[in-house]
Amino acid sequence: MIRRTMTTPDRRRRKAPWLAFQTPASRPAAILLGIAVWVAFFGLWEAASVGGMVSDLLMPSPHHVLAALARLLSSADFWGDIAASVARILVSFLAACVVAVPLGIVMGAFGVMEAFWNPFVAAWRYLPAPSFIPVLLMWFGTGEGPKLALLFIGVIFFLITLVMDYTKQVRAELIETSMTLGASRWQILRTVIVPAVMPNVVVAMRQMLAVSWTYLVIAEIVASTNGIGAMMMRARRFLHTDEIFAGIIVIGVLGLLFDMLFRWLHRLMFPYLAEHSR
Amino acid sequence: MSAPKLSLRDVGKTFRLKQGQEIQAIRGLSFDVAPNEICVIIGPSGCGKSTVLRLVAGLEKPTGGRIALDGREIEGPGRDRGMVFQAYSSFDWLTVQQNVEYGMRLHGVAAAERARRAGHFIELVQLAKFRHAYPNQLSGGMKQRVAIARTLANDPEILLMDEPFGALDAETRWHMQELTISIVEEARTTMLMVTHDIEEALFMADRIVFMSRHPGTVAANIVPAFKRGRRWRRKEEVLELEGYAELERRIMALMREQAPVS
Repeated sequence: MIRRTMTTPDRRRRKAPWLAFQTPASRPAAILLGIAVWVAFFGLWEAASVGGMVSDLLMPSPHHVLAALARLLSSADFWGDIAASVARILVSFLAACVVAVPLGIVMGAFGVMEAFWNPFVAAWRYLPAPSFIPVLLMWFGTGEGPKLALLFIGVIFFLITLVMDYTKQVRAELIETSMTLGASRWQILRTVIVPAVMPNVVVAMRQMLAVSWTYLVIAEIVASTNGIGAMMMRARRFLHTDEIFAGIIVIGVLGLLFDMLFRWLHRLMFPYLAEHSR
Repeated sequence: MSAPKLSLRDVGKTFRLKQGQEIQAIRGLSFDVAPNEICVIIGPSGCGKSTVLRLVAGLEKPTGGRIALDGREIEGPGRDRGMVFQAYSSFDWLTVQQNVEYGMRLHGVAAAERARRAGHFIELVQLAKFRHAYPNQLSGGMKQRVAIARTLANDPEILLMDEPFGALDAETRWHMQELTISIVEEARTTMLMVTHDIEEALFMADRIVFMSRHPGTVAANIVPAFKRGRRWRRKEEVLELEGYAELERRIMALMREQAPVS
């Protein structure tokens, strides 16, 4: 008895407590816990469905949803919907970046530019993009126009602001160092501010791409004949709840893939950020 | 004395605050730096010593007086006055070699000449092994050495140093002090440095400018006679020199005079 009480504190001291403050979980534990939360989620969902606690029509069980997903993925129509959605995202997001990144950098670099543009940009940011859908439909008809326009205005003003804020964070010492080395204004912009802010511009893009997906679904639900959102609205008409859930899963997975793509791009483009301190 | 490299005459700097108040940071400040001299500005915090350096660099404009380099009045930042900051200012996206070449690239120096000169200064700051490393892979002292090499490779008339070793640990600090003296000697450049470290000033300076505060001005312009007109490469040699302790006491007394009433 006495020996146990004497050895227990020792063992505890050597081993970090299970709930340690501000200590990241070990990698195997993190992977296991990450899987566990999803197993718990689907397990509860399945149990609720099988137990009859929720209506199968409104909330199909996970295995029904997975079956619907498999069905959808084997149809060419659904791949067409995915392609249409992804194409909308890419085209509108590229257009937003082409405008927002240079404008945001210039606004962050020069106070005068910020004073001129920011009252305009800030006001637009507070207007909910979907409120423009009726007028976008009137302007652009029912083709790709209104969808691309919604995605564009839904993202661009936030992107400008993020890029501007990140540009303002470029440290003054870097700019002043370049000045005392004799750089012109244009040289400072090109050789200091742009390369210094680029890693954060890619971060801002990653953040805003997630928002872009939100507007995509809105655009496709409101007025579209193809795309993942349109497919989900069709499924609703025929009470195919399982297909709606399958659509949600596909959007989630696509969003995650794009996020991973951007993280990978970030590592690839900015290898110098990896720190090996000695 | 021959014509000064850098001369400040009756320089003043008043900052205007947002509420319309004015703060006179510097008033009636005058001193000269001779060619190839190491001049160190020291003084209590808030005396405006960093502001003096920023005025010389052209990053701020004086509100009075005249600052001239080689007799020409300073109008803004320029490559003839390279500055090393206390905060690390390496360009993280460039390798050590590219960092050191940066200034020459701005001015269209041919690639071969750029590489040769950069190589020379990288060797001078003892970073040859790290030529292709990125700043994030370097320690604080190494980053400051990159900054010094980058500034000198750009061939400035004067090297401005704003508490460049302030963020370094004590050991790295004196290594850097010794290294900087030998580099300045090698590059035959003039140097104006700001510090709040009395020992650093005594070890490095050919001339010490002591600034008082409220407003900042020159309270004493001291040539440390105990060094007998030469530079000493090893710090312990200087510490043992007769007259070192006396000057240290004198500067400490000046500091104490300036200390806020508390």
